[in-house]
Amino acid sequence: MEWLASLAVALEASGFGQWAGRSAWAYPVANVVHVFGLILLIGGIGLVDLRILGVFPRLPLQPLSQALTPLAIAGLMLIAASGLVMFAADARAMAASDMFQRKLVLILIALANAAVFRFLHRGAGWADRPPASARIMALASLLLWLLVAVAGRMVAYS
Amino acid sequence: MRKRLALAALLFAALPVAVAAHHGWSSYDANRTITHQGTLTELSWSNPHGTAKTNYQGRSWDVILAPVSRMEARGLSEAMIRPGQRITLVGYPRRDGTAEMRIERVIVGNATVELR
Repeated sequence: MEWLASLAVALEASGFGQWAGRSAWAYPVANVVHVFGLILLIGGIGLVDLRILGVFPRLPLQPLSQALTPLAIAGLMLIAASGLVMFAADARAMAASDMFQRKLVLILIALANAAVFRFLHRGAGWADRPPASARIMALASLLLWLLVAVAGRMVAYS
Repeated sequence: MRKRLALAALLFAALPVAVAAHHGWSSYDANRTITHQGTLTELSWSNPHGTAKTNYQGRSWDVILAPVSRMEARGLSEAMIRPGQRITLVGYPRRDGTAEMRIERVIVGNATVELR
């Protein structure tokens, strides 16, 4: 990932990168926001995924999804913004981390899975009984986001 | 329903927990305390934790400091440990022989700053 390495060098040297790295509070605050974002993301879309998989069958899927999907998207935006701060603070080390690179790939797959799901099932008439294809994608979503979280936490330990 | 819930719970429980670390305590040998009087040759006052280099026993060592907010809260400043300043580092070496020490405390003049 050459592009990532050169982006990292530029970002770390930038005013934003210097601020993120040297400020006493930017990094810890970003770290907390990242966790809150993750709670919203997985707490939101993970419950929708479980419902599609057939857990809590008495909860109506449509209103559940309408309530929780926006929360998950809000979480994703918090994660992206705070993640950019933490990446900028330590960009060269992060760009060189295999675990971080794996995490980026997992995020791309998870986002693609979500986009394809929405494309295929928008306005779907299956209401409370999702077809197998939807259940498979929901399982993939749940596992992928959990793996993203694991990979993110493990960056510091690998 | 109950089976599926159990399956979901199992998925969560199966997440890997422990991994070997450059972070945490396990990768440093707390039984071999290094007390090094000298100077830093490089210093990066940065997050997620400060890093530096120092020459110790004929090798250049990586020095792992603490998060900026903690160092500042405990009274350590970048100027106090700037390269060239005489300081004392107390820390633990990596178990695997890598020339890297994780600093427990820094002594500058009369001030002792605990980093852990």
